[in-house]
Amino acid sequence: MAIVDEVVELRDATLTAISEAQTTDALEKVRVTVLGKAGTLTGYLRGMGQVAKEERAAVGKTVNEVRNAVEAALEEHKAVLAAAELQASIESSAVDVTMPGRVQQMGTRHLINAISDEISELFLGLGYTVLTGPEVETDWYNFTALNAPADHPSRGLADTFYVKDNTGAETAVKGESAVLLRTQTSGVQVHAMEDRELPIYIIAPGKVYRRDVADPSHLPQFHQCEGLVVDKGITFGDLKGTLDYFCKQLFGEDRKTRFRAHYFPFTEPSAEADVSCGVCGGTGKLENGDKCRMCKGTGWIEILGCGMVDPNVLEMSGIDPEEYSGFAFGVGIERVACLKYNVPDLRMLLEGDMRFLRQF
Amino acid sequence: MLVSLKWLSEYVEVPTDIQALCDKMDLTGTGVEGVERTGDNLAGVVVGHVVECEPHPDSDHMHVTKVNVGQGEPVQIVCGAPNMTLGIKVPVATIGAVLPGDFKIKKSKLRGVASHGMCCSKRELGMGNEHEGIWILPEDAEVGMPIADYLKMSDTVLDLEITPNRPDCLSMQGMAREMGAMFRVPVTYPEKELVEDPSQPNVSELATVTVEDAGRCPRYTARVIKNVKVGPSPDWLAERVQAAGARSINNIVDVTNYILFLLGQPLHAFDYDKLVGADGKANVVIRAAEEGEKLTTLDEIERDLTQDMTVIATPERAVALAGVMGGLETEVTDETTTILLESATFEPGRTSRTSRNLGLISESSLRYERRVDDVTCADYSAFAAALMAEVSGGVVCPGVIDIYGKKTEPAQLKLRVKRCQGMLGETIPAEEMTDILERLGCVVAATDDADVLDVTAPTFRPDLEREIDLYEEILRLYGMDRIPATLPGGRGRLGTRSEEQRKMDVVNNTMRACGVNETMTYSFADPKDLEKLRMDADGLGVAVELLNPLNSDQSLMRQTIIPGLLRSVAYNQSRGVRNIQLYETGTVFFGAEGKLQPKERQKLACVLAGAMGGTGWNVQPAAFDFFDGKGIVESLVRELAIPKLRFKALDADAAPHLQPGRAAQVLSGGTVLGWVGEIHPLAVAAFEAEAPVVAFELDLEALIKSSQLCRPYVDVPTFPAVTVDVAFVVDESVTHETLMQRITSAGGKLLESAELFDVYRDDERLGAGKKSMAYALAYRAADRTLTGEEVEKAHAKLIKKVCGSTGAEVRG
Repeated sequence: MAIVDEVVELRDATLTAISEAQTTDALEKVRVTVLGKAGTLTGYLRGMGQVAKEERAAVGKTVNEVRNAVEAALEEHKAVLAAAELQASIESSAVDVTMPGRVQQMGTRHLINAISDEISELFLGLGYTVLTGPEVETDWYNFTALNAPADHPSRGLADTFYVKDNTGAETAVKGESAVLLRTQTSGVQVHAMEDRELPIYIIAPGKVYRRDVADPSHLPQFHQCEGLVVDKGITFGDLKGTLDYFCKQLFGEDRKTRFRAHYFPFTEPSAEADVSCGVCGGTGKLENGDKCRMCKGTGWIEILGCGMVDPNVLEMSGIDPEEYSGFAFGVGIERVACLKYNVPDLRMLLEGDMRFLRQF
Repeated sequence: MLVSLKWLSEYVEVPTDIQALCDKMDLTGTGVEGVERTGDNLAGVVVGHVVECEPHPDSDHMHVTKVNVGQGEPVQIVCGAPNMTLGIKVPVATIGAVLPGDFKIKKSKLRGVASHGMCCSKRELGMGNEHEGIWILPEDAEVGMPIADYLKMSDTVLDLEITPNRPDCLSMQGMAREMGAMFRVPVTYPEKELVEDPSQPNVSELATVTVEDAGRCPRYTARVIKNVKVGPSPDWLAERVQAAGARSINNIVDVTNYILFLLGQPLHAFDYDKLVGADGKANVVIRAAEEGEKLTTLDEIERDLTQDMTVIATPERAVALAGVMGGLETEVTDETTTILLESATFEPGRTSRTSRNLGLISESSLRYERRVDDVTCADYSAFAAALMAEVSGGVVCPGVIDIYGKKTEPAQLKLRVKRCQGMLGETIPAEEMTDILERLGCVVAATDDADVLDVTAPTFRPDLEREIDLYEEILRLYGMDRIPATLPGGRGRLGTRSEEQRKMDVVNNTMRACGVNETMTYSFADPKDLEKLRMDADGLGVAVELLNPLNSDQSLMRQTIIPGLLRSVAYNQSRGVRNIQLYETGTVFFGAEGKLQPKERQKLACVLAGAMGGTGWNVQPAAFDFFDGKGIVESLVRELAIPKLRFKALDADAAPHLQPGRAAQVLSGGTVLGWVGEIHPLAVAAFEAEAPVVAFELDLEALIKSSQLCRPYVDVPTFPAVTVDVAFVVDESVTHETLMQRITSAGGKLLESAELFDVYRDDERLGAGKKSMAYALAYRAADRTLTGEEVEKAHAKLIKKVCGSTGAEVRG
């Protein structure tokens, strides 16, 4: 048989084998058999030297044509098989996407600190600095420098935790001493007025202590955030505007605030601020006509105490009240937790129950 | 304070819209804590007409009556009152009515006869003390009318929160003035004329008063009222006293309480005869109590007095605790015929301390500790004496003893109108300021300077001492809601976080990224905590002790956070929560002898129990052990960029609260940062938790001080590394730290890193007491690709040096 015919025959056989190959592996075998180092077609290519001169051109042309045809067929069929195999692999590796993912546990921030962070962030944006101070204070910084009269009832043993005075000094009232667990973070404000340059724009978040037995709405230790501004030309209107912004940021733009005259030794004039009730929308009534329990039907919820810094307090800290004025305010963080997150029992904040902590 | 609006309306027009009234009071500084309509408690009590009245078949004093109550058929009521007769009109409590004392009227049988209600006496309706029989109403009373309406006794009583700076508001007169200023309406003030009986001896013949220390008692007045008949108060008086929240006791005591509620002046009525001494006079002395002196007060409790307290005394004995409560021995009784009436003022601070030290708060002490006006003391004594004579049939002896030390002068203040406007942020006209202040009792006068007003503050307003106090009055009565809201416009302020605060954020973020949950525990500690924890108290200072703790197990301030966290571990475990990861940052307290304030240190404490999470279909979390705690510490140190971190094993003596062999000190160079370890199983058990509990406690100040957050850039490698694994077989005593030191120093410049990837022990293959430590070493040069030769040379040198210095053999 002429070489050309042999090659043509080989071509036909190979093309058949290619089309019959079921997998990419089988196809590769075909390729190796024909086009590998010892492949059949490779043999013809290598044997061109032995072909008679007059046939060489025709044989060469045919062998090359066959090689091109085989390679094209291999390529084509490989693409088909690869697509089918990928398809099969994809089909077999489908998962139930509703099964749980691999989660890396993230820890959680304590709710009280999360609220404290939120408040700090808000006032940082208004140009305030965040300060802290000691939890065991002297009665000077907790009461006297804040203009609390020597016999103010809040100094009583029923309200304030007193600490044993290791200097052995005597006190006027049995059971009290000159050192105590701070009942407010206001002491930080006094330190700030003594130590810092004017103007002062600070907030002081922190732990405070009052002698209340722990129950759903009281804790003997809780958190406050107090603020203090001392600058030239500060007005009561500035106090209102600042706290109005604060309440809207914390509770929502639709909330309203109102200010009620009150009395605090530290400020004059003094006020308590209320924010409109979020449950009844400030109407005091629920949709079904019942009295709103959240605000006891008043439409308002007491949120903070505030006022213009008393000139005595400024003077005691060496600031001239004729030149400077200021305002101060204090908000209970636990109270915000109750109002904003509906925590039903404050004691949960100190139990460390994982199921509670991981909610926030 | 309870304020009856019916009573108040005698002096000032009270708005009819109670809600609007309460809102206005709230906004101007008088907090309304409760609103009670008194007529409401007599719902169901109506005017009844007795239409039949027969004797009870089985009783010699009861009657069976039929009473027309205006609705339906007359009801049958059995009545035991002696004055029951046919045809009278009486108050009838119908079925369902609830009388004072929570007495509910139900259907009942009295000696076998059904009764459908009750005919009432005055006392049964909570009005006065008369209980002689049922209350017979005038004949023209309309049958069926609710009794509250018939008696026009429907009243609204407000429970008001009076701030401590406003003693004047602790009286009806003061509230009337306040209301007049609130609504800008006129007020009439109560007055009463005293007629003394000239036939009686002058008070100076009956009594003497000596004030030993005018500082304790600025003013003391005494009057004598003779021939009194002590008995029940007239209805109007009992009603007023009860409306104010007191019990009606007798006509004399009720007058003293009435004046207290009406005018704010506490009074005391002594039984004069019990004060009279051998000279036939009552010689009253106001003096300091003696240390340990005893006095039984009206509430029948014997009080131990101290020198800080002031007593009213005769030369022989104390008879009353000044400003707080009278003595039992000299109280007014039914036999009393002559009254010595005290109207005085006492020093506020001392009254407050006395009241606090004895745990005795009275209507008097409440007013004295907020300051009672001395200027009106004698006038109010005259008012009271006149009333006392009127209601008791007595006569007032001429004259008054008046020991008056230093008179309180009205405060003279300047009001700078523009400055006030500037501070409030609103241009309130001077005329409006004047109007507000005048309604509050101030005298306002213009000065040469059109911008300045002269203001004389009344002596009953001790809180109006300075110009700023007038601003407050103007602001609250002008209305805080009318002041426009603005934001401070000042220059030169920057809101910045301190470096410490930023580092604290890193600490908290890292703890959370490590999967740990922040918690808070009590700052209080149990005195047994350290012992239970087995922690060494050395170096923790003197425990800070509370003088008035809530409980004995919360009587100290904590010196470590760990006990609180262990309690939380036990809390979770006892509720079936097994996987616990908690941390807290907080203060611990170390006192020192001779020091007023303790040292406070900020600590970071963490406890781990169980595992990081539950077993899932694709995760199998390993149980926590020492290395989980250590790993978190390492993460913190990495995030805070703390240099030269070292862990040093702690033995049982150094850290008795930790399990020996699983305890380490954490150091940065020479600075101790804290400790990490597994809590000793006995300590865990002492807190009723289940071991193992991995924990650490680090000093936050040390962490923050050691932290160098700004790290310099290091080139990212551009040439490949060659990694070679090697296992050293060493004695158990050779630590990873030692091996790493040797490897690092022997590796030279080319050794980039060494990671421990396997620890293997096998008595047979390696020998007892030996371990194989396998490290992955990476060699790399920053400026070229290393050749095989270079690596081999460096590696051979490393092995030689490490083996030579540690006795290690390389495992083949």
